[in-house]
Amino acid sequence: MSATDEILAPAPYQADSVFSSDAQSLGTLTVEQDAIAPSGERLMTLNMGPQHPSTHGVLRVVLTLDGELITSCDPVIGYLHRGTEKLGEHHRYAQVIPWTDRTDYVAAPMNNLGCVLAFEKLCGVEAPERAQYWRVIMSELARIASHLVWLGTHALDIGALSMSLYCFRERELILDIFETFCGARLTTNMMEIGGFSRPIPEALPGMVRDFVKIFPERQAEYATLLSANPIWMARTKGVGAIPADVAINYSLTGACLRASGVNYDIRKATPYCVYDRLDFEVPLGQHGDTYDRYLVRMEEMRQTMKILSQALDQCERMDTPLMAYESEYVIPPHKGTMTTAEDMQRHFIWVIKGFSPPVGEAYVAVEHPKGELGYYVVSDGSALPYRFRIRSPDFVNLGVLPYMATGSMLADVVALIGTIDIVLGSVDR
Amino acid sequence: MSAPGNSNPPDPNTKRQQLAEARDIAAQSPDASLDSAPVSDVAGLKEAMLDDWSRESWFADDIEAHPALRVLRANFPHAVVDAVRFRDETTIHVAPAHWREICTHLRDDPRLQVNMLSDLTAVDMLRLRERPRFDVVAQLYSIPNRTRLRLKTGVDDGELVPSLTPIWNGANWLERECYDMFGIVFEGHPNLKRMLLPDDWEEGHPLRKDYPLRGWREFPVYNTERTVGRVRTRWTGRGAS
Repeated sequence: MSATDEILAPAPYQADSVFSSDAQSLGTLTVEQDAIAPSGERLMTLNMGPQHPSTHGVLRVVLTLDGELITSCDPVIGYLHRGTEKLGEHHRYAQVIPWTDRTDYVAAPMNNLGCVLAFEKLCGVEAPERAQYWRVIMSELARIASHLVWLGTHALDIGALSMSLYCFRERELILDIFETFCGARLTTNMMEIGGFSRPIPEALPGMVRDFVKIFPERQAEYATLLSANPIWMARTKGVGAIPADVAINYSLTGACLRASGVNYDIRKATPYCVYDRLDFEVPLGQHGDTYDRYLVRMEEMRQTMKILSQALDQCERMDTPLMAYESEYVIPPHKGTMTTAEDMQRHFIWVIKGFSPPVGEAYVAVEHPKGELGYYVVSDGSALPYRFRIRSPDFVNLGVLPYMATGSMLADVVALIGTIDIVLGSVDR
Repeated sequence: MSAPGNSNPPDPNTKRQQLAEARDIAAQSPDASLDSAPVSDVAGLKEAMLDDWSRESWFADDIEAHPALRVLRANFPHAVVDAVRFRDETTIHVAPAHWREICTHLRDDPRLQVNMLSDLTAVDMLRLRERPRFDVVAQLYSIPNRTRLRLKTGVDDGELVPSLTPIWNGANWLERECYDMFGIVFEGHPNLKRMLLPDDWEEGHPLRKDYPLRGWREFPVYNTERTVGRVRTRWTGRGAS
């Protein structure tokens, strides 16, 4: 090779000097630097996130583009990883529950519910009927709150700015209900092993009933804004279509799976709490595209209204206890702790030492707004969980993003990220 | 001409004809013979429903009657190590060599149809037994049967496990996370690299039981330009424990 050849030879392609040097030093860039598309054009590597507003948090996506066409997509996650599973192994069972709030913070009661049900299954405790009803009511409200955040941000990504204002207005009503119930709005930590140790506030059923009265009209407004909107349909119909077999192969759950026509809703398939006594339907999609996922989630909200009013009707006049105090795994009543020494000691020991479930393991899955939320707990007979695993729905669902994005247009990526409905706190845990 | 808004009364002949057609169709259906048949055999029906492959058999008291366990014992007689029932959940321990074949068989058997991989993770058994060190745990779900099944396989540190990614794409990220957190290497995985931790993370795999809660060493904050006079560390003054 002569000196002239060396000069004439093309220099190795550098996608972006600043970005590539940074990424190479970190070793995160996997796309080929010198890739050539079939059209003869050089491929362009585009970094999206982790501070991009449409990635719903700190998701980073490395895209390879041929013009505006995406040839490969590599999501990079972990920017919000806090080691919740490791923390769970170093806390007593009752202390783990607040950590689950922080995973999916837009539907915190649902995370509590799954965690509490897993611990109860491990210990063999069953919460009283009335507590089960209130668990259902609170988790269904959380479903609506989560769907409202999804709808607002998803529409905002695509360009319907005003949706987010309306959705967050209605979400405020739900947060008020949570605040009345447990004092917190976002990280609620409302579920306890064995039921609820505090009474239900008197104003609460009325607040939920008001919400059930108000919300259907408001939701009809959203539908008038979006469902037949030509821009919305152009941006969502046929975008990111997933056939049913592919959806199962990618372990998708929740609306992402049901929009493809697979009938799998944990509330129906393996009912927990009192879902087998409530009358509701599971909406299914046909095409598995972004528009179908939108329709499925909207219908889920309507069905949730049915669940809420039925659950209220059935439990409002109940006068039964809210906590399974007869079990040794449940926190002793707080009532006598200030007056009698025995009660105080019992309470003190339970709080300080915790309880030790039998040796064994349990996996409990609940139908989270985003899909199947599973908690897998292994007990070695000590007061700390030996293994505390969170199978978060959006982590698994996000795995389908490369499948959907490859071959689609760059502008669709924001719609695709929005339609999976991710919360990075839950993806990274 | 009929008055506007008044529809024509139905023609009696057409109606009679429709009724006759409906009767013909009903006579051809398999239900037609039910009227003349003796009272249905309730005990027989119950028995037929409780056949060896029904949903009930997944929850039978005898764990050996579990359909998946029977299939595995018949097809992989040496691979099944143990089967445990706890709180209505069935766990089958299998040998790692047949991990992928077993999952493929469970997925493709028409009587089982365990077609979905719900979750794949691992448990570090360091404090519970001598060896093998890890349990790789797969939570499987059968959408048609509405039943769960847990598969486990024990592997030692550095031992390879066949990857499930060729049969379930959903295993891709779950196995990457498992490698990231436990250091278990999955053979045949297309892209086995760190998932949640940074790619240049040098300090091992945090969900191992011998990994301290606060890490191995003091973790320097990178933007030292902002600190004046001293190097800030995240866990100042606390030992690794």
